[in-house]
Amino acid sequence: MTINKADNIELDHGGGGQKSSELISLIRNVISDKGKWKNQMDDGATLKIGNQHLVFTTDAYIVDPIFFPGGDIGKIAVCGTINDLAMMGAVPQGLSLSMVIEEGFPMKDLLKISESIQKMSREAGVPIVTGDTKVLPKGKLDKIEITTAGVGLTKKIISNSGAKIGDVVISSGDLGEHTVALLSSRFNYKTKVVSDSKTLNKEMQAIAKYVHAAKDPTRGGLSANIIEIAEKSKAKIVLEEELLPYKKETFAIAGLLGIDVLSFASEGRFICAVSEKDAKKVLQILKKFNPEAKIIGHVEKGKGVFLKTVLGSLRPIEMPRGKLVPRIC
Amino acid sequence: MCLAFPGKIIEINNQQATADFDGVQKVVNISLVPEIKVGEYVIVHAGFAIEQLTSQDAWEVLKEYEKGNRIIQGNIEKNS
Amino acid sequence: MKKETESFREILKKIHNVASQIKRGVALMEVCGTHTQAIGKNGIRQLMPKNIKLLTGPGCPVCVTAQEDIDAVVHLAKAGIPIATYGDVLRVPGFLGSLEQAGAQGAKVFSVYSVEESLKIKKEFPNLVFFGLGFDTTTPMTALALKNGLTVYSTHKLFLPAMDALLSMGEIKIDGFISPGHVSAIVGTEPYEHMNIAQVITGFEAQDVLVGIYMILCQIRDGRREVENEYVRLVKKEGNRVAQKMIADYFEIGEGNWRGFGIIPNSGLEVKNPKLNAKIKYRDILSKMDISKSKKPTGCRCGEVIRGLITPERCPMFGKTCTPEKPYGPCMVSDEGACNNYFRYAK
Repeated sequence: MTINKADNIELDHGGGGQKSSELISLIRNVISDKGKWKNQMDDGATLKIGNQHLVFTTDAYIVDPIFFPGGDIGKIAVCGTINDLAMMGAVPQGLSLSMVIEEGFPMKDLLKISESIQKMSREAGVPIVTGDTKVLPKGKLDKIEITTAGVGLTKKIISNSGAKIGDVVISSGDLGEHTVALLSSRFNYKTKVVSDSKTLNKEMQAIAKYVHAAKDPTRGGLSANIIEIAEKSKAKIVLEEELLPYKKETFAIAGLLGIDVLSFASEGRFICAVSEKDAKKVLQILKKFNPEAKIIGHVEKGKGVFLKTVLGSLRPIEMPRGKLVPRIC
Repeated sequence: MCLAFPGKIIEINNQQATADFDGVQKVVNISLVPEIKVGEYVIVHAGFAIEQLTSQDAWEVLKEYEKGNRIIQGNIEKNS
Repeated sequence: MKKETESFREILKKIHNVASQIKRGVALMEVCGTHTQAIGKNGIRQLMPKNIKLLTGPGCPVCVTAQEDIDAVVHLAKAGIPIATYGDVLRVPGFLGSLEQAGAQGAKVFSVYSVEESLKIKKEFPNLVFFGLGFDTTTPMTALALKNGLTVYSTHKLFLPAMDALLSMGEIKIDGFISPGHVSAIVGTEPYEHMNIAQVITGFEAQDVLVGIYMILCQIRDGRREVENEYVRLVKKEGNRVAQKMIADYFEIGEGNWRGFGIIPNSGLEVKNPKLNAKIKYRDILSKMDISKSKKPTGCRCGEVIRGLITPERCPMFGKTCTPEKPYGPCMVSDEGACNNYFRYAK
């Protein structure tokens, strides 16, 4: 435990790495009642109602820049929450939308963001049914913050802890492209690779019955999310370096900036564990949505997450550190 | 240290050049390689091209080494 | 990809072959943080023959930055001087905290990817000081910034004197060096020739490192002590003359203060122009700092790790009070530090 009550909040606490987990644990120790809800450590909490599970999730979105190649903050606010529901196997029923806006924020930008929200809502077939807006004085907020919450229904919950020994790990497409898009203005590069943000509910529904565990590698990227699946499933996962699902441009940016590519986030992709015998069928279905879908590793007995290198060695994959700080040295 | 990445020069504008890194274009400073030409490759460190990159990779060097030759910057120095 | 796997299998076989011909234990030292990373990321240690040991030397510029220099820059930041520097440096803890912490408390601290970004920041903060660290590869960039009027606190160092120091100190047996590819791109191959030790200037892809190791082992087997160049695609015999001139024009060589080594003569690079030398310009502010604190021992054995005397897990803080999440010493902060890499990859 690196965190204690005498500390102040640091940026690392929001980064999605180990410090973030510890912060959440600290808060959960205080806010600890669960009622009849379960799965609170997963993407969403669940409540049994009759023969169905109600799944409930929420997320806050603060992105810089708010407009980036391939999307904007509105798009990912909708995709993020719909995808969290989808990762649990739930059919999203509706979203809430709350926006806190800084005084002076251009109306035309707000309308553009609202249009993105509408477009994503329509693409997924999930309406925005309730919401709230607040305005803060100039300087009290960096442009805009959006929070979405969503509810979904499912008879069977897909959790992070269901990966079975002998399963294969599949990625629904190439990863890390949301981070590529976000970093492009900060580091001044041009590339045709744009944010991979999209809604995943239809894709997941098409293969839900085969899926043992699933996560969308948003914050923390592939490494943080595959480690979570391995830990919760109490299994060992080995990914193949030859099969790592990234475009050459993504590798190039990781190499140029000295940031681990495995920590790059996606907002429209997922990784899942399915039994080996179902892999072919699952890939066939997923490739209709994204031809890049492929097997990237497998689940074994043991613990930890490892990369089998092209050289034939096995080396550990670690949790990413808090902030994405490029190095030169 | 020495984190660096190879890129191809696609445009030159005095001390700045646009380099392509596997499909990513970024402006780099070429003050340290003033003779570099469009179409040539460089290794870029912290936003600067530090030297021109020619083509022999590790496997080629190994091949020449086994033959008893050393390669000095693109020229094969035959073992006499 | 299949072809590559074959090639890797073959070079590993060759390495094992030469190692068995050598028979005795051999210690090869890599001296560049990017080599430390490459070896860790590719799991190269586990593929080596039992009698070949790969040691990590002082190749991580963040790690070898003296405590006094970190504390001095944090002191400047807290005194209101805006500071810009490269990413990893921000997290190195000092007695006054780290630069990152100073920033969180209100100091103006900027993380930059390239020195040119600092020039842009300088337009808004004219008294910006660039904290320059790094070896021969990074110094030319700082020189260019000095040319453009940026004030610099320099803790830049020449790398080769540290290799000489390691050899002359003779604390550990080093049979060969995996010599730094990008430092060599700047300085060339000639400056290594006086060292009288088997070495190969090596690139940073997995295949470069393996071919480099193979070539050093061949030298050791044959009793040769030469400077060979595996990284021919980048490293010329004379190096990069333009870069060398930039360094000579803007810096003068003096004592270098290395964490773990103390003073290594003729290894430090000091800014020539007193008007742009932060140590001179802000002498008054710096004189108010209590440097005795920086010299106090803390239990961190980073210095010994840097010199290759101990492997990271021998430090009592390793993995307990010093982890990548909450680093105590610079070897754990930097992605290129020995302790950081050991923690992440040597499990």
